[in-house]
Amino acid sequence: MFNRIKKWLEVRIGLDDLTRTQLTEYRVPKNVNIFATLGFVALAGYAIQVISGIFLLIYYTPHPDHAFRSVQDIMTRVPYGWLFRQMHVMGSNIMIAVVMLHMVTVFLMGNYKRPRELTWVGGGLMLLVTLTFGLSGYLLPWTQLSYWATTVVTSMPTAFPYVGDFIASLLRGGDYISGITLGRFFALHIAILPPVFLSLIALHIFLIKRIGISATPFGTSDEEKRPLTEYKKKTYPDGSPYYPYFFQKQMLMVMIYVAAMFFLITFMPALFSPDEANTPANPLKTPFHIRPEWYFLAPYQMLKLIPNKFLGISIQIILVGIFLLWPFLDSQKEKNVFKRPVLRGVFIFLLALWVVLTFWGRY
Amino acid sequence: MRYLFISLLVILTFSSFAVGGYKEKFEREFMSQPWAGEQAEENACIACHVSDKMEPKLKNIPQNWQMSIHYENNVSCHDCHGGDPMDAAMSMSRQRGFIGAPKYTEVPEFCGKCHIGILKNYLESGHGKALKKTGKGPNCVTCHGSHKEEQFIQKANIDIINEQRCTKCHSYERAMIMKQALFLTEKKIGELEDNFKRLKKEGVFTADDEKPLFSTQAEFRALFHTVDVSLVKERTDEFRKRLDIIEKNIHDTLGELRFRKNFSAFILLLFTGMGVVLFLISKTPKE
Repeated sequence: MFNRIKKWLEVRIGLDDLTRTQLTEYRVPKNVNIFATLGFVALAGYAIQVISGIFLLIYYTPHPDHAFRSVQDIMTRVPYGWLFRQMHVMGSNIMIAVVMLHMVTVFLMGNYKRPRELTWVGGGLMLLVTLTFGLSGYLLPWTQLSYWATTVVTSMPTAFPYVGDFIASLLRGGDYISGITLGRFFALHIAILPPVFLSLIALHIFLIKRIGISATPFGTSDEEKRPLTEYKKKTYPDGSPYYPYFFQKQMLMVMIYVAAMFFLITFMPALFSPDEANTPANPLKTPFHIRPEWYFLAPYQMLKLIPNKFLGISIQIILVGIFLLWPFLDSQKEKNVFKRPVLRGVFIFLLALWVVLTFWGRY
Repeated sequence: MRYLFISLLVILTFSSFAVGGYKEKFEREFMSQPWAGEQAEENACIACHVSDKMEPKLKNIPQNWQMSIHYENNVSCHDCHGGDPMDAAMSMSRQRGFIGAPKYTEVPEFCGKCHIGILKNYLESGHGKALKKTGKGPNCVTCHGSHKEEQFIQKANIDIINEQRCTKCHSYERAMIMKQALFLTEKKIGELEDNFKRLKKEGVFTADDEKPLFSTQAEFRALFHTVDVSLVKERTDEFRKRLDIIEKNIHDTLGELRFRKNFSAFILLLFTGMGVVLFLISKTPKE
């Protein structure tokens, strides 16, 4: 019976051929390191968000009068609702951290260099979409924290002359956060961003498959320094097979990811749920010490520090532009960042700045 | 391409600096609003009381209020004293309902606008009758404090009944019997409050369960204001039963939290184990 089904599928979709070419014959460089698995981990993280998100969607009500109560019902009355909510909340934060780490390691290993410029741009856009996922999902529980943190974040564009108020108004659907904002953010979170994100994932994977996985620049001579004038798929005949060798590494990292998520759920269940996250939103009562989520703290603090707000927001947009288009700006052939003292210095400075601004914004 | 991009960035940056200027609206509405801290300064009562033109003995009022239970529960100046805190010129206008500070004998009615049940029992008590008869009996601030001098209005608790305070007017004997009658119930209320704090820290929404506790303790404390020991003893069982129900709900919730912790710890162990197995497999030499 099983063989008959297998044969039936083989005739129609070429399962054996697909397995052979995509898994066993597909080879990765021998010196590929654990950081190359982070993209897969982020993808697994996204899958967890989708599955847990669908469960939450069944019980969530996107209306200011019911949103808070529906989330509390998920936490207290829906069987195992707390588990899916916690997975979604913790997962969103860890996933953002993993995507950021993925970008940093790709940067450090110079894997954005030609012919992988578009892979980098696609990945950068995915990071921005992930942050937008975070922003839009943050408002949905309609708590004091989510209401006022969203007020802070949606106020940022108002620093822009001429179009700033329009952008803020477009985001909020008015001058203040209201039921309209909740509706917009809900639609953005569950209907607009997922197809955008999936398209970017498809593009990203297509490019990785077409161009071939990049070799780690550390330790071995880099073959990719040659001028690139025509398409040539990067293959590693002497490398290790993707399955089971690299797949095991990827799955190991996914296990660590899930274990980290459940570590937080078990031992720090209220890590992202301070008191304000358990209080219904009250537009008339501003809580103390309200601040955006940790991944928006650095831009938030930077905006607070620069006296000219338009300059502050312009610098941030320019930094995002530089970040996205970096492969086109970096003409050096050397991939290994440790052999490039200036770039290394700038990177360490920016990383330190980001950490300092994040902590500064928090306290 | 690169140079064009960099040039565009430079032009954009400098032009933005020159054109953008200082966005006052943004600054006013968002950045300079440290979310609650400065809102208080918008309050005309506080702005005036902390200013140098205020009499020294009235200058500490905002500070003492900020340490009080009223401040904790967002009860502001105008909620008791009337007036309009948003309009400095009219803040003390009678047209805007300004009452000002009540006379000593008017304090119970002043506080009783909100603490209705307590006022009723107090007026029927020996304390209330003494105030009415002589104008010198204890009123609310005698025990609970106000925001004058170094005082602040404390959260009601059993320690307010103490020898030092009670012996200002009479012997401590009767007060001590009352304190003993209240002790176990008050202790239980305190424990339940601590448990709610614990649940909140665990991220549990407790407002629904806190309401019955609040009403039970309010009624119990209102009952105490009759200063009638036998009545307190007689009705204590009724309050204890109500508190027992709340306690059971809290215990159920704590049990549920323990289950959640164990369940997620089990999944944590499961994935850790799977990770270890995968690690060992990946380290096994291949043919």
